[in-house]
Order: sequence, then C-alpha cells, then structure tokens
Amino acid sequence: MQLQINPGDELPIYRQIMRQITDAIVGGRMKPGDKLASHRELAAQLVIAPLTVKKAYDELENEGLIHTQRGRGTFISDEPPVLRPAEARERLRDAAHRLLTQARLSGVPYDDVTELLEEIWEDMEP
Amino acid sequence: MSVLEFTDIHRSYGNGVEVLSGVSFAVEQGQVVGLLGRNGVGKTTLINIAMGMLHAQRGSVRVLDLDPEKDPVAMKSRVGFVSEDQVLPPAMRVKQVIGLHRDLYPDWDAELEAHLRQRFSFSDRARVKTLSKGQARQLALLCAVAHRPELLILDEPAGGLDPAARREFLETSIDLLSDGGTSILFSSHYMTDVERMADRIVLLHDRQVLIDAGLDTLRESYAVAVLPAEAGILVGDIAASEACLRIRESRGALRAVFRGDVEETRALLEAKLGVQGASVAQAPLEELFVELLGGSS
Repeated sequence: MQLQINPGDELPIYRQIMRQITDAIVGGRMKPGDKLASHRELAAQLVIAPLTVKKAYDELENEGLIHTQRGRGTFISDEPPVLRPAEARERLRDAAHRLLTQARLSGVPYDDVTELLEEIWEDMEP
Repeated sequence: MSVLEFTDIHRSYGNGVEVLSGVSFAVEQGQVVGLLGRNGVGKTTLINIAMGMLHAQRGSVRVLDLDPEKDPVAMKSRVGFVSEDQVLPPAMRVKQVIGLHRDLYPDWDAELEAHLRQRFSFSDRARVKTLSKGQARQLALLCAVAHRPELLILDEPAGGLDPAARREFLETSIDLLSDGGTSILFSSHYMTDVERMADRIVLLHDRQVLIDAGLDTLRESYAVAVLPAEAGILVGDIAASEACLRIRESRGALRAVFRGDVEETRALLEAKLGVQGASVAQAPLEELFVELLGGSS
C-alpha cells in the first residue's frame, strides 16, 4: 500500500501515517497478516526521519492494530483491537463533530448526511 | 549520551552587541535537532562555536566529549559539516576534492562514496567552479558524510537550492540516519524539511533558547488561538497567563500561542480568561514559527 504524507499538514507526520494505516485496515485495503514496509523502506519512500516511522508503528502497535516479529517484520494483526466502549464513543464523537461542522458549512442538510453515511457503511461491508 | 553540549554560551559581536546570552542545550546520540530562529538570531554563530571556528566569550561547548578549540583534529575526524556559504576550491576537479577528503579521514567509507557519486552523478573531471549550486552542495555533503561521522552539523544546508536538489539532500541525510549511528544538528528556514527530518526543535530568539521541545510535542501540545479583537479582551490578562508564550495584534485580530493542546487552551480561554469565540487550532511548524516570531525583528 502506498502512503502519502504532507509535512505542512495540521497533523504531525506520524499521525498522518497512523491514520492512513488505520483507514486501510478498516477499509479492507490491508488485511490481517499483510506485511508493512520496514522503518527504513518507509522512511526512504516518504523522505522522513526513520524515527518518525518508528513512532507511528509503535503507537499502532500499542493500539493493537499491528505487531512486530523480530527479524521478520511488522504485520497487520489478526484480531482487530477492541477499544473500551467509552473511548470508542468519544473518538467517534470527535469525528462526527468534524463531519457535521463540514456539512453545516457547506449547507448540506442532515438527511443527506445520514444518506451518505449509509452509502459508505454499505461499501465497507465485506 | 550527549554528542554535543552547549553550556551557558555567551558571544558578542566586535561592536559589543550580544548575540547569544546564556544558550544551553545538548544533542543526544541518535537525535536529529532542528535549530530554528529568525535571520541574525545567532544560529550560525552557535554552529561556528561548535565547530571551533569561533570562541565563546563565556560558557563551554563539548563535541563528542572533546573541546573543539583544543582538539580540533580529533573532533573534526568524527564530525561532518556542511554550510550554505561553504567554499570548495574553485579550480579543483571533483575527483581531487573527494580524494583530498578521503586522505584526511581514516574511516572513509569507499562504498558510501561510490554510492553517493552515482546518485549525484557529477563528472569526476568537472572543476568545482563549473558545478551548479546544487551540485556543489552535494559534493560538500559527500565530503562531509563519507567518513560516516558520529555527528553531522548542517548550517542552512538547503539554502538557495531548488526543491529537487533540496529533496535529494534530504534523501541522503535520511539514508544516513537509517544506517544508524549518526546524530544531526541542522539549521533551516524550510519548515517542511524540518518536519520531515527533526525529532527535536531548538528555537532561538532574543539571544536565548525560547523553545526546546520534541517536534511532535511542539505540534500537539502547543496551540494557536485567534481572538476577535473587538470583544473587549484584556491583552494584558492573556499575556500574564503562564501558558501564553506570545500575543500580538495583527490585521484586526489578536493572535496568541499557548502551551497546551487545543482542548486545554480553549478551556483556559473560556473558563479562566472569559474569552468567547476564539478559534483554537494545532498548527504546523511554519505557522507556529510565524506566530511565535512574526513581527519581532
């Protein structure tokens, strides 16, 4: 999978990497057991410090999304991690807030937003 | 272990104007530290002190646990240095310049030299004066890194280079970091390059270190707030708050930088300072730099 970063973005680079990998897992573009690029490969590819890649991977590993096998590499985990329900809800609230702010700004009615959500949800079904 | 340590550095120009007043920080092994600040703030002066080319009138500097003024040869054999205004002998050929450096360093890595020569693709026979600015800087970088220095010091290395040459310069530095064992101190005005390379930021302002923090800490634990100027806000109250690093008026709005993430800053503004309607956001390095130092020189 090809990642892309933008160093002038509001999000620090390691967060951008985390978000893209998380999105790829959730969207089914990366599957359990898939191998991730090594620190060195990804650092060279994105032209960023290897420590930044390490930080992104470490955080993803802490969240249980990926795991490292010594000498073999880093892989997508078999079982998606389970967030505590309160934490999951809180994260979702943030994302929902951003979504609805954007909708209001663009003058998109609420019904259109829910329709859009349903559409995306169905696309995600395996 | 620190590979570079500045302790209470003081330095004045010949005319008595003090440029550095009590600067202290250390670069730990494996770190990449971005040295930032406005033009004339003393970044080059500080770097020249580390390289033993300038004397600190007070304070001390240790490079790889050596005194750069007392042990220049031992120090330089383990350090690589590239600066924007570095001059290579104009009449020499590329091959001669590289040969000269190869002879200077016992730990010269011929394989790395060959690799970089291939990447940079300048002709062996070309004279230095016929190289483009980008090629000359690449040659300087090759000479600075082929002995695999423990510490690489770069003073505005990308200054004057086009984006493609800058990117190649970054790629080489990043390969070197991936190989391990190198620490880097670099000054730069290209904030996106700093975001790509650095894991720590030291920001010089008004003769001193204004901020010394991890890059990600700086990005996630500092917030920029834009406040409506007409709301009867007491600038003094905000400026007096411990978390406020800077507040200024610019084009009809008050702009302030706070130590604290977006939520903390919003809470501070609303609950403690009674400010409503502020827009608070995390900012990329370039914005932080402008908000902290804009209009200050």
